[in-house]
Amino acid sequence: MEEPRIGVYVCWCGTNISKMVDVEAVTKEVGTLPGVVLSKNYKYMCSDPGQDLIIKDIKSHNLNRVIVAACSPRIHELTFRNACEKAGINPYLFEMANIREQDSWVHTDRTEATKKAIDLVIGAIRRVRYHEPLQKRSVNVDPATLIIGGGISGMTAALEIANAGKKVYLLERTDHLGGQVARFDLTFPHLSSARQMIRPMIQRVENHPMIIVYLNTELKEVSGYIGNFKARLVFNGAEQPEITFGNIIAAVGLKPFDPSVIAEYGYGKFPDVITSLEFEDKLRAGRILTKYGKEPRNVAIIHCVGSRNKQYHEYCSRVCCMVALKFVHEIRAALPDANIFEIYADMRAYGKGHEEFYAMTTHKQIIFLMYDQQKSLPLIREAYRDDDCNMLIEMNELLSGIDIEVPVDMVILMVNMEAHDNVKEVVRTIGVSLCGNQFFIEKHPKLDPVATTTGGVFIVGTCQGPKDIPDSVAQAKAAAARILATIAQGSVPVEVTTAVVNESFCCGCQTCISVCPYSAVSFDEAKKVSVVNEVLCKGCGTCGGCCPAGAITSKHFTDRQILSEIEGIMSMSY
Amino acid sequence: MNFRPTIVAFLCNWCAYTGADLAGTSRLHYAPNVRIIRIMCSGRIEPTFILKAFKEGADGVLVCGCHPGDCHYQEGNYKCLRRFKLLEKFVCQMGIEKERLKLEWISASEGKQFAELVNEMTAAILKLGPGKVQKTLELEHLKTN
Amino acid sequence: MSQELTKPKLKLAVYWGAACGGCCVSVLDTHEKLLDIVAAADLVFWPIAMDIKYKDVESMPDKSIDLTLFNGAVRNSENKHMAQVLRQKSKILVAYGSCAYMGGIPGLANFFSKNEIFKRAYEETESTVNPEKTVPITSVQVKEGTLEIPLMFNDVFPLNQVVEVDYYIPGCPPQSERLIEVFSVISAGTNLPPAGSVVGANDKTNCDECKRKKSDKKKVKRFYRPWEIQDDKETCFIEQGVICMGPATRGGCGVRCVEGNSPCRGCYGPPQGSSDPGAKMMAAIGTMIDSNDPDEIDEIIEAIVDPAGLFYRFSLPGSILGRKVL
Repeated sequence: MEEPRIGVYVCWCGTNISKMVDVEAVTKEVGTLPGVVLSKNYKYMCSDPGQDLIIKDIKSHNLNRVIVAACSPRIHELTFRNACEKAGINPYLFEMANIREQDSWVHTDRTEATKKAIDLVIGAIRRVRYHEPLQKRSVNVDPATLIIGGGISGMTAALEIANAGKKVYLLERTDHLGGQVARFDLTFPHLSSARQMIRPMIQRVENHPMIIVYLNTELKEVSGYIGNFKARLVFNGAEQPEITFGNIIAAVGLKPFDPSVIAEYGYGKFPDVITSLEFEDKLRAGRILTKYGKEPRNVAIIHCVGSRNKQYHEYCSRVCCMVALKFVHEIRAALPDANIFEIYADMRAYGKGHEEFYAMTTHKQIIFLMYDQQKSLPLIREAYRDDDCNMLIEMNELLSGIDIEVPVDMVILMVNMEAHDNVKEVVRTIGVSLCGNQFFIEKHPKLDPVATTTGGVFIVGTCQGPKDIPDSVAQAKAAAARILATIAQGSVPVEVTTAVVNESFCCGCQTCISVCPYSAVSFDEAKKVSVVNEVLCKGCGTCGGCCPAGAITSKHFTDRQILSEIEGIMSMSY
Repeated sequence: MNFRPTIVAFLCNWCAYTGADLAGTSRLHYAPNVRIIRIMCSGRIEPTFILKAFKEGADGVLVCGCHPGDCHYQEGNYKCLRRFKLLEKFVCQMGIEKERLKLEWISASEGKQFAELVNEMTAAILKLGPGKVQKTLELEHLKTN
Repeated sequence: MSQELTKPKLKLAVYWGAACGGCCVSVLDTHEKLLDIVAAADLVFWPIAMDIKYKDVESMPDKSIDLTLFNGAVRNSENKHMAQVLRQKSKILVAYGSCAYMGGIPGLANFFSKNEIFKRAYEETESTVNPEKTVPITSVQVKEGTLEIPLMFNDVFPLNQVVEVDYYIPGCPPQSERLIEVFSVISAGTNLPPAGSVVGANDKTNCDECKRKKSDKKKVKRFYRPWEIQDDKETCFIEQGVICMGPATRGGCGVRCVEGNSPCRGCYGPPQGSSDPGAKMMAAIGTMIDSNDPDEIDEIIEAIVDPAGLFYRFSLPGSILGRKVL
């Protein structure tokens, strides 16, 4: 190994660091440590002059390792890596010590904070000695895209990509395109027809020369990696020829919650207690009739069915409040004299035009009744023989505090959106993760909401979390744009800090193969050793964390690097 | 004696480390004795690191990963959990008090929880006193270089 | 061997510290090859086989012994003294066998303090009658003068924690064939491995040589102790739920235990890539637990009755923690 020549740079971050950490003391303390050639501090290391300082020093002092003690590496690691690269040293010969977010900002004792900064910098110094240069790599991208799910999100993404002249395989497991939107009558808040929106879209998708639609088709297996996937599809039980593609969009959506598990509502028992989707069916058919073919005189709409309730789903489904208000408009138009009861827990009108829509709906002569989900749900029961209605809803009206009975002939349950039953299979097949609510996990909840941690796999629409049509469409277009960008570039960078097997130590026990979440490790039967496919590897290091022979190394997180960092941060503590 | 415990914390990059950063951006104050080591995934954290930290004089070791189901790498946190539980049994056999070794799930949004966790653990270790790993060995018999 | 005969004969010493004697026997187990060894080397010191006093060794010139095989751990003042003397007198000092290498079986004493051991040995064992609670002391006055015995330390140490060691030959005991190989290399004096190397063992761990069927299905729902299952004699022990130290243990023994249908216990110590085989094995075994439920994981781990003893049977003093914390 070459003799380390380390440059240490301590950032003041204006007063953000220097106020609580004695940057001069840190600079001095670490300046004489073995391998440290120079140690400096500067007002803003991330500024151009700060970076230039590093670049100049690397060249003039022949530095081969660089440490910046500043903010979180999550913010500026890349900045300084690039600076190192500019100066001609490998970017991975750099290490950061986090003395702002994890030191100066969280402590109040200057002596302690300074001591901590010194420890962290020494840890970085000990670690960086063992850093190795790593090479950036990229793979070519197959220009075709597989989209799983033929709802509005999947179709939007498909059209977006196909219109750019790139091939799309659109997979739908039912016998038709359109997804949940195909069941809607009108949309909120503009009360425009869902059908008039979705029908032409389906036709465009079906007739598009660059889109191949597979109906009644299931995804059997996906193999490969970003840019180079393969899939086996099963149509009506028969396996289809293998398809190859470079990117995947999961647009599998959500399904309506089955309210029959909520005893209070008697869904399944009372024929005129129906779900919001079943009511959409009636609206689409053009007639609001009870089971007995009569126009209901009293219609109740119960909100938050299966939502915001720990027993069922804790999350809010976001769209049901507005759909319920949309129903008010449609019912009022069809049944001018009917009594309409909105039985709600909270009215959520967060979106563009939604609050105005709510305000407009309140003029539709409806009765708002509030219930407390924490206390008790409204109870639907059969009306008495001489009552002038089919059913009665017993409830405690929260605002008045009074127990009331609401006469109803039809009850619409605003059901939650929940994951499909096979969602676990889907995520396993395409190698992504689910959160506790069974929604697909995005790469970053704010900064990268359509990508996943698996390269080349994107998520759009409600499978990522309940959302309305505009949000789904926006996500679909965003994912399409991301994919088109990688197709245009022709290649994509892949993870550098992957695992690597030292074949002279690997004994072939295969522990690593059983733990890899990405099937990136396989067994070479001829050599009797494990082999890492560096394109599939995401660098989590789980294999390195369980290799009994110490034969798998996680690049940039080797035992030697981490153990040295531990020695370093502890070296001043006694 | 003015005992200031040192806690070595291994934090996964995506959740806990980001949570600790959030504690910083939110200017939440906590005990200054925790030294954080960033790992990409708690699934990388192996017993060797934890034992090494104790050996080097850590009075406590904290391991934090993503909440169950939220792992950036699908299931690394579960693998960490299983390993950790076995290690915990070993560490207790080795006479290291259970309170000195902790595994907690901290999400990227749980800066407050991280700060509280550090304070709680520091308080617990203050009660226990300094770790004894280094003191136990009869160092005078060891070769000097 | 004829070529060696023309060279001046090597001076060879074999010494035992805290050991069972098995390592010395392994030297004898070279059978007729022992004749080759004594043809190439004069044995200048071997307490189990010949009568030479410590003072004779102490008066030897420094570096006058070409090769010393030190077996056994360092457990008392006598072991330590002789380790230091032999270091000074030897050109090459080899930690021979698991005890000298890592602490070995005597190293299991590091799960206790010296006082606990004395209390158990001199007061509590079922066969002890010791109403005065007499325990050993290092010096006692009798009519004839002062009697002294070595001081037992609180800790057991591997040899390299007390003196510099040139090479390590692992095994409990080392395989005699491997001793001969190593001896040939050292007596030839050329192409010596770098100082600090483990010699007489493989680079890879035991699984490499193990004939049992291994797969990537290393998920364990229940651990068994070896006597709790009917071993199918074909499948990897771990895949049958029996903890085998093979994956974390250097090969070189010829996978003897597994060939005898007993899981590897780890006497050959860690391969080059790891320093603490117990920790590495805990990492591997822990990860294989087939559950994500904390309570179920606890239940599964309950079947691993004594992780410390199991994973550190031969390696505790040389491990990261070295001993139980007192």
